[in-house]
Amino acid sequence: MAEASGEGGASDAGARAGDRTAALTSFFRDHPRLRTLAVAGPPYAVLLLFFAIPLLAMLVVSFQTGEIGGPWTLRNYMDFLGSSTYLTVVWKTLVISVQVTFIVAVIGYALAYSIVRFSRRTTLLLLLVILPFWTSYIIRMYAWINILQSDGVLDSTLNMLGLPAVSLLYSDPAVLIGFTYVWLPLAVLPFYASLTNLDGDLIEASKDLGAGPVRTFLSVTLPMTINGVVTGVILVFIPTFGSFITPRLLGGTNNIMIGMVIENQFKSAFNWPFGAAIGMVISVVVVALLVLGTRLGGGLFATGGEEA
Amino acid sequence: MREFDDSLPSVNRRSFLQGASAAGITAAAGCLGGGGGGDGRVPMDVEEWPPEDIGGSLNMWNWYDSWAEWAMEAFGEEFDVEVSNTGYSSPDQWYSQLEAGNSDIDNIAATTNWVERSIENDFLHELPVDIMPAWDNITDRIKEASSYQKDGSVYAVPESLVLYPLTYNDEYFDEAPSSWGVLWDEEHEGNICMWDNATVSCQIAAMYTGQDPIQPDDYEEIEEVLIQQKPLLQTYWGDYQQGMSLFVNEDVVAGPLTMGRTYTARFGEGAPVHYTAPEEGAMYTSDLFVIPKGSPNPIASLQFTNWATETENAAKLFETMGYQPAVDISDELSEEDAEFTNWPDDWNLIFSETLSDEVRSRYDEIWTAVKAA
Repeated sequence: MAEASGEGGASDAGARAGDRTAALTSFFRDHPRLRTLAVAGPPYAVLLLFFAIPLLAMLVVSFQTGEIGGPWTLRNYMDFLGSSTYLTVVWKTLVISVQVTFIVAVIGYALAYSIVRFSRRTTLLLLLVILPFWTSYIIRMYAWINILQSDGVLDSTLNMLGLPAVSLLYSDPAVLIGFTYVWLPLAVLPFYASLTNLDGDLIEASKDLGAGPVRTFLSVTLPMTINGVVTGVILVFIPTFGSFITPRLLGGTNNIMIGMVIENQFKSAFNWPFGAAIGMVISVVVVALLVLGTRLGGGLFATGGEEA
Repeated sequence: MREFDDSLPSVNRRSFLQGASAAGITAAAGCLGGGGGGDGRVPMDVEEWPPEDIGGSLNMWNWYDSWAEWAMEAFGEEFDVEVSNTGYSSPDQWYSQLEAGNSDIDNIAATTNWVERSIENDFLHELPVDIMPAWDNITDRIKEASSYQKDGSVYAVPESLVLYPLTYNDEYFDEAPSSWGVLWDEEHEGNICMWDNATVSCQIAAMYTGQDPIQPDDYEEIEEVLIQQKPLLQTYWGDYQQGMSLFVNEDVVAGPLTMGRTYTARFGEGAPVHYTAPEEGAMYTSDLFVIPKGSPNPIASLQFTNWATETENAAKLFETMGYQPAVDISDELSEEDAEFTNWPDDWNLIFSETLSDEVRSRYDEIWTAVKAA
């Protein structure tokens, strides 16, 4: 039957499709609210389905006793906030997260800056930066175990150079190294994106006006790329705060983080409401810290910018 | 299958609606995980062995990866069944699927306390063990210890005994340490480890301090000794592979590890390790085969459960994973394996019963406090 209609049939079908598209366009032009809904609806639906509803479910569970569907209670929050033990763990987590974020930001910025300013093979270098993402997180951690363990790759190399072994595995530095390695690509990419958009003439102008490299960096480069820095810091800080695998595999007896406590509530203690309550508190703390940090950071750099 | 034929009389509207309704109900039952399998049978419908028409596929969740890999091929070839296995690292991975209404998993190798939870929540099929020939192979010791029954009905078949012994370097120690106290001995500072597991570590501390690990009476003492122990440790290991590596690399000389990992470290990696149950006792549990409700192939799963419990197939579990099968395999063992696995009868072994909510909660609090100290 399709053959019988021939070219004329195809042309008719094309015309009908064009009419429908025009009618649809006209309909949305006449109904701007529906147009907005059609454009913004899907992303909002995804956010609602995969972010808001699960968060709401976690909030509900966090007010229950013992198990999901249990009686309502505030006890989970009181137990958590009233315990010096858990608050100590949160503090330790915060310290580690800030350390990791700082180290990653410094190394990542230097790396991104050198890629943008001093290299022509940017694509290759960026590929090398993101290459570790193609390997499983766990496997990367086991690779670091092999490198850092006593008589591992690092110690063997040091011995070959006539230096004493360091045996870093199961220590604070091992955790920092592991985190830095894992999150570095997350920071480099936004740093790179913001540095690419930096106008080189501004740097030249700064130098022409007598500013040294440090002053130029602090007055021009950093303020002009602050959005990328903030994005990178957020991308590193949040996952570090919730981590539990890296400190478990690389850390010693003192490297507890709140993510490990939450994981334990869900997987071993079977106290999902308490785990949900800790998760809610931590979410609030992280968001508050990020808002505070962003505002403080922005203010400081804005001042620097004005001075420039 | 009949091909479409234009010459057939047309179907009237009422017949069509009746047929469509029946098909819809059947499909809905399948989607809702009725647990009857392709032909609607459940394991208790099997009255004679072997069961007929076991189906053509089997989806199992078994965390003894090496054994499962072998079993998939061996069982598949013997019964012409396509077998798949999903290895898992934590039981909550499959348990959450059962909670959500299972429609995929046919057979799970599950640890006792998770089996108990599953039975309590009516997630498992009852099993006709009286007609399963291999049921008689299960040793009385594990039948008495494991929890697989409720109201006289059986819901699981034991697969293996999982011992949580004290593992030690047998070149470092002249003889097996007789007490958990070795993990508190300053002489071994920096060369010992503990398991990053609230229950296991607190139970070791309970046994060390002479308390009942299932229902301890002095939590403060448990916390105190664990904090005392902390500076002596190299680390808390949180992953089985990591725990085994500590012994294989000879980073530690003593600490808790499972019997299976000790076996692999010794015979697979050539590490100088052995295990013992200290005089204060050692915990053990069991893994069991269960058939979850909603299983699409429950009869194939039943056949597999029986097959896996046949002596030579169970012996393969020990050979590949080092865990003691729930079946007496002494005739199948090499001299070396027999020497490794035959426990003295006088060992003080304590079955790892499911802890009360209160004890579990206190153990968890203690462990967090110890790690944060």
